[in-house]
Amino acid sequence: MALRRPASRRARATVVGAGALLLAVTGCSAPGGGPTTAPARDWDDVLTEADGQTVRLWMYGGEDKGNAYVDDVLAPAAAEQGVTLERVPIADTADAVNRVLSERQAGVTEGEVDLIWINGANFATGQQAGAWLCGWTSMLPNIEYVDPEDPLLATDFGRDVDGCEAPWHKAQYAFVYDAARVPDPPGSVEELLTWIGENPGRFTYPAPPDFTGSVFVRQVLYSVSGGVDEVPLEFSEDAYDELAPELLRTLEELEPALWREGQTYPQSLAELDQLYADGQVDFTMTYGPATLPDLVADGTFPPTTRVLLVEDGTIGNASFLAVPATSGSQAGAMVVADLALSPEQQLAKARPEVWGQYTVLDPERLPAQVQAQFAELPQSEVLPPYAELSEDADPEVEAEWVTALDEGWRRQIAAG
Amino acid sequence: MSTVRIALAASRTGRGLLALWLVLPVVPLLLWAFADSWAFPALLPQDWGTRGLTEASAAGAGGALARSTLLGAAVALLATPLGAMAGRALASRQVPGSTAVLAVLLSPLVLPPFAVALGLDVLLLRLRVPATLGVVVLLVVAALPYTTITMRAAYAAHDRGFEDEARVLGATRWRTVRSVQLPLLAPALAGAAFLAFLVGWSDYIVTVLVGGGRLTTLPLLLASAASATGNDAQVAVLSLTSILPPVALLAVVGSLGRRGRR
Repeated sequence: MALRRPASRRARATVVGAGALLLAVTGCSAPGGGPTTAPARDWDDVLTEADGQTVRLWMYGGEDKGNAYVDDVLAPAAAEQGVTLERVPIADTADAVNRVLSERQAGVTEGEVDLIWINGANFATGQQAGAWLCGWTSMLPNIEYVDPEDPLLATDFGRDVDGCEAPWHKAQYAFVYDAARVPDPPGSVEELLTWIGENPGRFTYPAPPDFTGSVFVRQVLYSVSGGVDEVPLEFSEDAYDELAPELLRTLEELEPALWREGQTYPQSLAELDQLYADGQVDFTMTYGPATLPDLVADGTFPPTTRVLLVEDGTIGNASFLAVPATSGSQAGAMVVADLALSPEQQLAKARPEVWGQYTVLDPERLPAQVQAQFAELPQSEVLPPYAELSEDADPEVEAEWVTALDEGWRRQIAAG
Repeated sequence: MSTVRIALAASRTGRGLLALWLVLPVVPLLLWAFADSWAFPALLPQDWGTRGLTEASAAGAGGALARSTLLGAAVALLATPLGAMAGRALASRQVPGSTAVLAVLLSPLVLPPFAVALGLDVLLLRLRVPATLGVVVLLVVAALPYTTITMRAAYAAHDRGFEDEARVLGATRWRTVRSVQLPLLAPALAGAAFLAFLVGWSDYIVTVLVGGGRLTTLPLLLASAASATGNDAQVAVLSLTSILPPVALLAVVGSLGRRGRR
């Protein structure tokens, strides 16, 4: 027994040593402060550096068509420029942001994340931490087809983009209904609220902070506040105290007319979609209406599914590609972002059979031939064209609004 | 005699119910895996087919299966001997402050994996540990509680007299381990290795955060497919792919255990 003592003493010394190493390593933290600005350089120079680089694009992997677009259309095009594009599927974009923040904290310069498909709160989180490479989008040759004044592309949930992310595609919030069950659909958000009261149990929305449920709450906010112009996009306590009570009162009054009398809400859009697919409710909603024709075609949704056009317009936004400051293949990432902006790629991505995502390019800046090709895109019965859908599109409020409203909803509606 | 028969019947019924309890949830998965369309309120799918299979393989299920298997095997290979050594030391009561040591070894069970992964990620990055190695190391730590507990119990019931006897008869230290200890402890080792394999096989958060996207394993693929609407067939196929190998492994481990008892 006595013989074993030294061993245990040695073990203890090892433990202490490991602990000291741990302290030493975690102690000398070097979190970078401000944003990293890309040096202005010649595009040919970027192309030369990008040749041979591997770019790892982290993106939400829940959309088969989106995955297929990146693998089969974008990646081969990138390969022609000498850039290997690898797709990393994730269930939640926040996973990618967390990875970047960790890498930044650790002072990594050859990080695993070279590009992220991102917008909204995830972008804001990274920008606050100075995690993105900024000031590079003006270098992209294809940015000339983008309208610099386009409010959807200049800001991302109220936050100035500042050249820290390149446009990827646009999205439009849409109410979706089954024309067979709702023969006389409402024409505005206000009418929709009345319709819900008259048809108890046939409507519900995902509980915020679910992304889509949260948009629904903001859409109602715009409506009860008397239009989007009455809501300051910049968040302030005063504006919240002025506008939120009316919104929450409306939602509270709506509750008894919801599915299961509002005693429970779907936890995610997927759950609401399931309720809709099963015919338990007559409406669903989406921030990606482009997926609808597919859901109808494969029989998930009934063939009489239609998008509801509301006269007050719905909230629209854009999603982007951001390059982390920790990426070791920034030139390659920029080349891919530029490629994704090219008229050919945007047109391919807009094709319903490819992905059906709305372009970020300004039609008037495009060559006449490409304009015609965009105009010739096949239209679906389910989905009105983007021009019609995005008419009077409402901007998104600042990300701080989103957090405050979600919290207000949780306190008053979920707990009440 | 009749009480024995009643006890036997009760045990059989219990086992049957247990099997039912375990198998029932898999039935809808099996149906979904081969359902091309299945809408409420139909009791069975309207269209059968292999859409789920095609989609899952297009999403990279084959590669993910291989990576998950490798990861699980690597974790089992490392965590089992470590757990066995820790278990033996703890069972022999020769470790000073063994309760505290045990508490440290078991602590991964109570710490939220997300916090651990986020915190240690920075550390591993700073130490420039390659991503895949980092995942394996963290998962081995996460698997240690299971292997340690299993092996501590096994060593507590293990009679060291057999080893002493072998040594007295002239066997070398290594020969004693190989011919006496390992065969006697094989069922427990298999059980511990199985649990460790499951830790690596089913992990999501460490693989995604620390792995830096290099390791697209089955749970990663499954989570990203399940987070959207309309992927039910694909999700079912991926789920079955995640369930079946461990079940097969469990059957092997179970038969090993039975042989060990004889």
